[in-house]
Amino acid sequence: MTAERFIHHVAVEQPDPAETVIGARERLRDRFPRTALRRMTHLGLMLGSTLDGARLGPEDALVYASTFAETRALEDYLNGFPAASPLLFQTSIHPGGIQQVLIGRQQSLARLWPMAGRDRLVEHALLTALLEPAARAAVAGGEERGTWMLDHQMAADRPFAFALVLTRESAGALGQVRFETADAGEGNGPSLEEFARGLADRRAMVWTGGGGAWSLDWR
Amino acid sequence: MNAPAETCSLGIEACDCLTPFGDADATAAALLAGARALELRPVLGRDGGDLVPLALIGSMDETLPARWLGEVRRLAGALPPGPWGLAHAPVVVTSSNFGVGSLYAFTRDRDPRHIAHGTPYAAVEAIRRELGWGPQVHVFSHACVTAHLGLAQASRLVQAGLAERVLVFSFDFVSPFVAGGFHSLKILNGEMPAPYAQRETGSIGLGDGAAFAVISKAPSPTRLSAHAFHNEMFHFTGNQPDGAGFRACPEAIAAVTKGRRVWIKGHGTGTLEAGRLEAEAVASVFPGAPLVSWKGSLGHTLGSCGLVELAITLAALRRGRIPGTVGGRTPSFADNIALQPFDPGAFDGAVLSSNAFGGAHAALLLDTSGA
Amino acid sequence: MSDPLTQRLKSLVVNTLKLDGVRPEDIPDDEPLIGSPRFGLDSIDALELVLSLEKEFGLKIGSSEESRKALASVGALAAYIRSRQKVA
Repeated sequence: MTAERFIHHVAVEQPDPAETVIGARERLRDRFPRTALRRMTHLGLMLGSTLDGARLGPEDALVYASTFAETRALEDYLNGFPAASPLLFQTSIHPGGIQQVLIGRQQSLARLWPMAGRDRLVEHALLTALLEPAARAAVAGGEERGTWMLDHQMAADRPFAFALVLTRESAGALGQVRFETADAGEGNGPSLEEFARGLADRRAMVWTGGGGAWSLDWR
Repeated sequence: MNAPAETCSLGIEACDCLTPFGDADATAAALLAGARALELRPVLGRDGGDLVPLALIGSMDETLPARWLGEVRRLAGALPPGPWGLAHAPVVVTSSNFGVGSLYAFTRDRDPRHIAHGTPYAAVEAIRRELGWGPQVHVFSHACVTAHLGLAQASRLVQAGLAERVLVFSFDFVSPFVAGGFHSLKILNGEMPAPYAQRETGSIGLGDGAAFAVISKAPSPTRLSAHAFHNEMFHFTGNQPDGAGFRACPEAIAAVTKGRRVWIKGHGTGTLEAGRLEAEAVASVFPGAPLVSWKGSLGHTLGSCGLVELAITLAALRRGRIPGTVGGRTPSFADNIALQPFDPGAFDGAVLSSNAFGGAHAALLLDTSGA
Repeated sequence: MSDPLTQRLKSLVVNTLKLDGVRPEDIPDDEPLIGSPRFGLDSIDALELVLSLEKEFGLKIGSSEESRKALASVGALAAYIRSRQKVA
């Protein structure tokens, strides 16, 4: 089996590692409705930024990948016990990061595939997108920087987010993602952060895993 | 325009679950007898708080190693032999909670040993190591429609020829983290849930649950026939008031039922607004089809509910009797709510649906003609 | 001019929900608080407010239906708190 999709939108957020949610809110405030902005998290703000221009419709799909997801909401929610905050509980639930963006923009979707995991997360997210029958399948992901959870290796140490849109249209594509079944073993695929950096640098990526060979190439 | 259902014809080689009643067969038997696993217990376990309906396997308080790990091991005893986690036999793990109870325990006790299970990755890795799975373990987490995503992904992997068999494995165990959260939303309160009942106050219960299914092209008496999804993105906890979101998946499934006579296992947590919208949508799309919910007994097993309830459905079909809506009562939101058990012989299909935060909807169609 | 309890509640609303650019006196006594496009508050805000009210006034609001009634407007909320304080 060979599966191939063409890349029609790429955006990456790699802010200063010290950027705070307040800083991000100020930097990106023009991109969101004022009423939505107030409650958005750092990850939500970055994801929203990268999905600007993705042009998703109600019959399209989005694969969302994050290992640690809504770290700060999780930390603050836990810190609030025994008085549990409904807002922080709600926000902390995967896929709260992407839902903030989609609800803020009232962007309905056919299928949302929120993924967790770590070592093969990129590979599995791309495979999920390649198996999508939707005309446009976005793959978005990212992390926000933790505080006390970072001290225990339960959070990312720098914020980032990315989004790309995959379609079957070759014309005008920026690049392509390809998977071909092969007796290829389980190689080391990119981590979520390496993948985001690769997209930002328009770097080609190849690896093996999941019963085949993977490649991401640019035009 | 909502997306159409994806059709398939795939076998369910094996399927079982674990609830406070035991395995799928014991759970189906308890539901048929009208038993309720929910009991009023302190919302924060040993930390106290209001009494709320919880259906627990043991105590909610976290242990070392994590309390769910032993239960997952117990359920895994019923798994068909692998090898699981390889490219041709991948695992799809679905959960909403993963090991979040360990995070709560860590913040309470500051015992760093809890951290080993505190993140989704760490929890899945603990199971992967424990059960000897290979690296091909896909992980999905979409609140209460999570298990449907796992089943749909498994279907796609088999249909595409990428896998011969796929193990879908779900687990969600209640902790003060999640009970406290639903309590703060005021829908986990001192009342027992009464799914689809018209009453003054809505309420849900929460329950422990784990389940698995092995999906392949092999023959089986009950087959997965279609999957449908829709995401409203109207509001985090609310739905489009006209019920359009609740109609999307039933309509997509109805378009591929091809004259099948179906009954419906609904989501039915016991909240008022969503219960009414769901019951009305099902009644309008599948007029006369019985609608049941089992969350009035088992509580809401969150991300695993779709797979737990599939396992119970298959066990009930084997018993030749489908449990009614335990805890339900009249007046209901629609005339088609089945409060009592019924005979599945008059039907050749079942629609299993789940809903989640963010206006997420999922449904699957089971071909039960061979059951 | 609002009474002291109503003023206190308006300040609580602004501070709890981090209403950017809204002053307590901008909130009318009798207009719906939740669902008003002017403030963009929704049911999650309502529940967050309930949490603050429970802490601030030592109340217990049992269900989402009860919280919805109590938070119909700032005026309704003040009346609800007064009635609960009398009961206590």
